[in-house]
Amino acid sequence: MMSRRPTIALLECSKSYWTLIGQCTQCGHCKKACESLTAADMTLGEIARALLEAERASTTPEELAANIGANPALVQAVRGCFLCTSCKNTCFAHNDVCDLIHAARVDFQRLGLIPRECWSSVLVDQEWDIFTAYRAVHGIYYQDLTRHRAWGEGPDGIPAATDCEVAFFPGCSLASYGPELTREIFATVEELGGKTTLIDSCCGSSLKSAGFYDRAEALCDRIAEEIRSSGARELVCVCPGCANAMRAALERNGLGHVEVIGLAAFLTAHGFTPKRELPDGPIFMSKSCSDRDGSCLEETCGLLGFEGQPPTIFNGCCGAGGAVSAFQPERQAAQADSKLSFAPDGSTVVTMCPTCTYTYAFRMMESPRAIANKHYAELLFESSFDWDTVFSNLNGMWYGEYGAWLAQVLG
Amino acid sequence: MSIDATQAPSCAARPATSGVAIIGYGVAGVNCAIALRCSGYAGPIRVFSSTSIPPYSPILTSYYAGGEKSYEECFPWTEAELSDLDLEVLADCPVEHLDPAAHLIATPRGDFSYSKALIATGARPATWGYPADADCKPLVLRTMEDAERLKAALCTEPRPRVLVSGASMVALKALEAALARGCQASIVGVNPHVLDFNAVPETAARFERGLAAKGVKMRFGTSIASVKGPEGGPYAVSFANGESEEYDLIVVAHGVVSNLDFLPEGTLALDRGLLVDRFMRTSDPDVYAAGDIAQSRELITGESRIIGIWKNAALQGAAAGKAIAAELVGREPDGSDAFEGSFITNTIAVDGTLFISAGASTLTPERRAVIEESEDITVARIYERTADGTERLVGFNLTCDEDIEGSRAYDMGAILTMRIEKSLRS
Repeated sequence: MMSRRPTIALLECSKSYWTLIGQCTQCGHCKKACESLTAADMTLGEIARALLEAERASTTPEELAANIGANPALVQAVRGCFLCTSCKNTCFAHNDVCDLIHAARVDFQRLGLIPRECWSSVLVDQEWDIFTAYRAVHGIYYQDLTRHRAWGEGPDGIPAATDCEVAFFPGCSLASYGPELTREIFATVEELGGKTTLIDSCCGSSLKSAGFYDRAEALCDRIAEEIRSSGARELVCVCPGCANAMRAALERNGLGHVEVIGLAAFLTAHGFTPKRELPDGPIFMSKSCSDRDGSCLEETCGLLGFEGQPPTIFNGCCGAGGAVSAFQPERQAAQADSKLSFAPDGSTVVTMCPTCTYTYAFRMMESPRAIANKHYAELLFESSFDWDTVFSNLNGMWYGEYGAWLAQVLG
Repeated sequence: MSIDATQAPSCAARPATSGVAIIGYGVAGVNCAIALRCSGYAGPIRVFSSTSIPPYSPILTSYYAGGEKSYEECFPWTEAELSDLDLEVLADCPVEHLDPAAHLIATPRGDFSYSKALIATGARPATWGYPADADCKPLVLRTMEDAERLKAALCTEPRPRVLVSGASMVALKALEAALARGCQASIVGVNPHVLDFNAVPETAARFERGLAAKGVKMRFGTSIASVKGPEGGPYAVSFANGESEEYDLIVVAHGVVSNLDFLPEGTLALDRGLLVDRFMRTSDPDVYAAGDIAQSRELITGESRIIGIWKNAALQGAAAGKAIAAELVGREPDGSDAFEGSFITNTIAVDGTLFISAGASTLTPERRAVIEESEDITVARIYERTADGTERLVGFNLTCDEDIEGSRAYDMGAILTMRIEKSLRS
């Protein structure tokens, strides 16, 4: 694609690879910052290089797929990435790993290098995914809170609102696994911010991880249209990753005037007082890797009344990022263990993103330890997650009356 | 590695429509070529290189001198990648004269015309301040040739006693190479601390403690006054503060000077570097500039400055390439093609002591530094008072006693860099 010589463009995202190659000095620091890159023995630049080399050596998509598939280091580097940006943080040029890996996943998806079972349950732009199925099976609905006209459909019996002040975006994990907490937060947001509507979609991060970048952006664009239709001027996000995705989508859709604000910042701005005492024992904040600039962490610490920043666990991803669990499930567990290991017995680990909370809870179910695992909203509100019930529900829904249906729609 | 000079044509001017000329074969030039090709430009790209060495990373030269990288590892781009760009590279062909009015580039091999030209000739080390009558010709560190000389000198037995003059990034990289080779190393700088333009005293002091722990002898607030000794050393070095010491090798890192000697005075708008707009266009609409010779918008102050760092050169080169490609098809470059400016960022580790900085580091009446010291890290945040009475983060620098990739110090550096970007956006 680059050369003046006629070549067949086999890689869809070759511009991204060339951009990275142009900016990478091949110093190797990124490799040392990441277990997956270390295992692959590749720098970010070498990932881009290997993809372009594979293209050079191929004449058909099938051949390209075979060439990439025959390079286990490249597959490891692309599919083993949590998108945590530890490598980017260490890169003195701050070269963007997310751009690179998302692009590579798009090409992997196109070339059939990501097995269907790795993504079939997280197509969150479809009617059924793991979250909507969970909610349907367990009767978790929010029609009464979805006051704007939902994209492409109108909520039954409820007039569409275009005069909302605020749109509340709990994100997929909170909306699915914490319905009481979702409702309590919603009520508070409305009480403080005025007429509010609920956006109960997923931000599409799982689509991006699976290589469906365009579909993820299209999903966010649809959500942006929902926000436009609601008239809301503020979008309150619980998860920093959702906030990032929606900030970009709103800008892209000419809705830059809609302020995307984290829940903690919103509550602080409205003088909210936490409804709970802080738990006994030491508190360890777990920075979410999608909280790139640490704003959510800082705002949460302020709202929780910490003077200065309490002990904070950095060190990359909780284990849920980048759909690595579908590729190397053992690394999800290892990553969660790595982060939780910073918290001593008797302490509480406080997460920024509900999916981090879920991931730690899942790991602690498998490997119990004497620490508490809380999303920050659980320290602010009376409701909380009931992970025992959630995991029981998740496990149980594959059996019994819904089992066959789930296997059909998500299989 | 070397470029095959025989591939270059011998001479002769080409028609005015002879495509894009890139003067300088470094990171800015390569990224310009990449952007041109990625933007669909299929015409000729002629690159003028003053050397026969392919484009390399100046950042890695100290790793090579210090033994951390092999020679081959200093070249970020493979032959296949450079071949894909389909460049006509004129190796060992320094540009002697640029005539923007005539669209002509004069070289020892003759004159070449161009439609659009990028100047990306970079900078060379300066030795100003080093005694002109010194008996020792100092080494410098910039090019692969410099690194080869330094490596050879550091590898002699017995290991030389090394004096590094200067206290900025390049000086510290040279110091690191000397330490890596097992040399006894000293550093001297005219300012009160190491990292003179990048650190507040507290973070600099922590870095100095790290250097001292590695046995580095430091002299600050002084300079080399004289160097006496036989050819090949040892050299008796006298300092301006009256002290003296004997060394076998002297490395000077006193800043750089732009490689613009081929440009007749008054040809293009020039301050410390060539003045460019957001598309890297100079005062001549068909001449662009990128990298260490381009003076573009520094985002903290809004002033026009040279920011001589790798990423800046890469982004500027790419912006120039995109803009050139747009203009060559009759399209005005748009915002997505632009380089909107940057601020300085630095990361350096010397034998386990890590320093990261971004943005402003000097204090003014409008600025204050908030210093946090913990067991292993010192962080200075620089805040600036704005017109509306609020404060914004405009810089930080931190020193950590450990250099562990992926560690909290690196995360903090990234977080604070993004905070600066965010405060600039708002």
